[in-house]
Amino acid sequence: MNYRKQFSNMFLAQLKMTFRERQTWFWGIFFPVILMVVFMVIFTGGSNDDFEAKVAVVDDSPNEMTRMMLEQIRNMSVFNIESGEPVSLEQAEEWVKEKDVDAAIVFSTSAESGTIRLIVNKEEERGADVQAVSGILDKMVQQVNLAAAGAAPVYELQFEAVSAGDDDLKYEDFLLTGMIALSVAQGGLFGMVGMVEMRRKGLLKRLRMTPARMGLFGLSDVVMRMIFGVFQVVILSLIGVFIFGATLHIHIASLVVCFLIGALTFSAMGYFISSFSKTMEAYMGIANILSFLMMFLSGVFFPLEMMPSWLQPVSHVLPLTYFVDGLRDSMVYAIGPVSADLWIGVGIMVLWGAAAFAIGSWIYRSKSIAATR
Amino acid sequence: MAVLEVQHLRKSFGTVQAVEDISFSVEAGEIFTIIGPNGAGKTTTLEMIEGLITPDAGHISFGGLNWGKHADAIRMKIGVQPQSSAMFDLLTPEENLDLFASFYPKSRPTEEILRMVNLTDHRKKKVKSLSGGQRQRLAIGLAMISDPDIIFLDEPTTGLDPQARRNIWDIVLALKDLGKTTILTTHYMEEAEKLSDRVCIVDQGRVVTLDTPAALIGRLTKEREVRLAFTGDNGAAAEAEQFVRDLGSVTRTEREGAALRLWSVQPEDTLYSLFGFTKERGYQVEQVSIREMSLEDVFIAFTGKEWRD
Repeated sequence: MNYRKQFSNMFLAQLKMTFRERQTWFWGIFFPVILMVVFMVIFTGGSNDDFEAKVAVVDDSPNEMTRMMLEQIRNMSVFNIESGEPVSLEQAEEWVKEKDVDAAIVFSTSAESGTIRLIVNKEEERGADVQAVSGILDKMVQQVNLAAAGAAPVYELQFEAVSAGDDDLKYEDFLLTGMIALSVAQGGLFGMVGMVEMRRKGLLKRLRMTPARMGLFGLSDVVMRMIFGVFQVVILSLIGVFIFGATLHIHIASLVVCFLIGALTFSAMGYFISSFSKTMEAYMGIANILSFLMMFLSGVFFPLEMMPSWLQPVSHVLPLTYFVDGLRDSMVYAIGPVSADLWIGVGIMVLWGAAAFAIGSWIYRSKSIAATR
Repeated sequence: MAVLEVQHLRKSFGTVQAVEDISFSVEAGEIFTIIGPNGAGKTTTLEMIEGLITPDAGHISFGGLNWGKHADAIRMKIGVQPQSSAMFDLLTPEENLDLFASFYPKSRPTEEILRMVNLTDHRKKKVKSLSGGQRQRLAIGLAMISDPDIIFLDEPTTGLDPQARRNIWDIVLALKDLGKTTILTTHYMEEAEKLSDRVCIVDQGRVVTLDTPAALIGRLTKEREVRLAFTGDNGAAAEAEQFVRDLGSVTRTEREGAALRLWSVQPEDTLYSLFGFTKERGYQVEQVSIREMSLEDVFIAFTGKEWRD
């Protein structure tokens, strides 16, 4: 039996079918690109560096202290005082409610001591603008305090961002590698829907009536998926680097290891879903749930540290977490295949993949053909 | 020479006894048709023969080869067209045929198959854009690609229009001319009667009867239905009814206005006498017909079930 002939023909057929299926292109290339563009624009492109907040100032009993502070606020370019003059408390509250201003600063002090109240809209309480206004005001109050006490600041904070890698991890790099991992993972997770269709149409049964080796058929499918995955990596990288200015430092060996294991793992998970899904709809539903869970819990769009701490252990179980990490290590930090983290990640992915494949195969075998008709 | 022998097949799924006891043998070069009501065990029987399900008991032998020992050798000898359109929708007929050809050590040229199933003009179209009849012809083409000796056609014409159905019949008869053995299942009695060398009626997991279509029909009672329509008023029909009732061969009559139906065990003699009578009286017979007994009558007689198309 000429297995080489079988394999090359099967592979050729898979190639043609993949290229002719518009859905593959949409979900595999177009959709991740759109998602990446949206996230890039939201988190990087849209923000301007000149922060400016509109505030209202309430100064019911003006004195020297309040005049000094008002003067300082006026001099700060980040603050833009609505109507230019202090207003009544009622007017200021009204503006805050209507969101005409970001915050109202209320002086209620005598010359010696007092408080400064910051009134913000409840809806925007946790917003970045409000946080910034509060921070700046806090700093100002401290300075006023120091000045009042006649002291000079002893310590000064200098802000500097560092990261574990050789270079600063920009959000562009972070998101790009996350998106690449996500699209390769989804390729595997959703890609096995063809098996459900083939079983429903009786095509799997039909192939089993020929001397074709089903293992070879599966292999040709996986090889095809790998090649498509390489396409995804290359296209998304090019867009990320040339359009969004991401910087990549690739270590080929660890990238290849991580990519191969990741792609196989998620294909195995897709195979597992296909083993018990009777219809395409059922398959897509389950794949969607898994994909969504992992998308937000695996550090694709934002770092895991941003999630509540009770949720983080969940992330440390999911395979996508390790795939994303592995791709970041090998594409942004150029970490070679000597890193223990990389191999731990690979190990966990292999566990997932092996378990999914074993259970999937068992379900395929144990279900009688009559039941899968 | 028997190319396929099936002995005492039995299969149950859980508590459902799909096949009780089925035995038959198929001769080289014949078209062997299996018919039976829904749930009679046809598909289960075929799938056991095709090696997809293992029978609980019984033997299947392809001229000495069996599934246990010679699975690959049997797969080379048989070609299967399953009920559903099991093929790759995104490939063209030509590509489907080429792919299936690669599974076998030897195959018929794709060109030849396309010509046989009359798809040469559609060779470059994607399968998903083919009509039902074209897909079904391609399915038969795929079954023929390895040039097998035995071809299984599972309801090849179900859901097709009459013209598409006749196209498939031509292909089946062409296969017979090539010396192939065909095992066919069908929903259409007309098809079974027209194509089959032998018909096997299956019901409740057992073979009810097995013979040539003509012999099966011949086994039915000799009584035949004759229909006559008279011109003019009802009087002629009424008198004719009176006349035939006295003939010994007529078992029963029915009359509705000028239309007369009678059942006779010797329809030719009955008609001869009846025409003598009408000629003598000067009555005009407008229409006359003897209803042919069909396989459908055989089916109803053997299974007690109405046939559904």
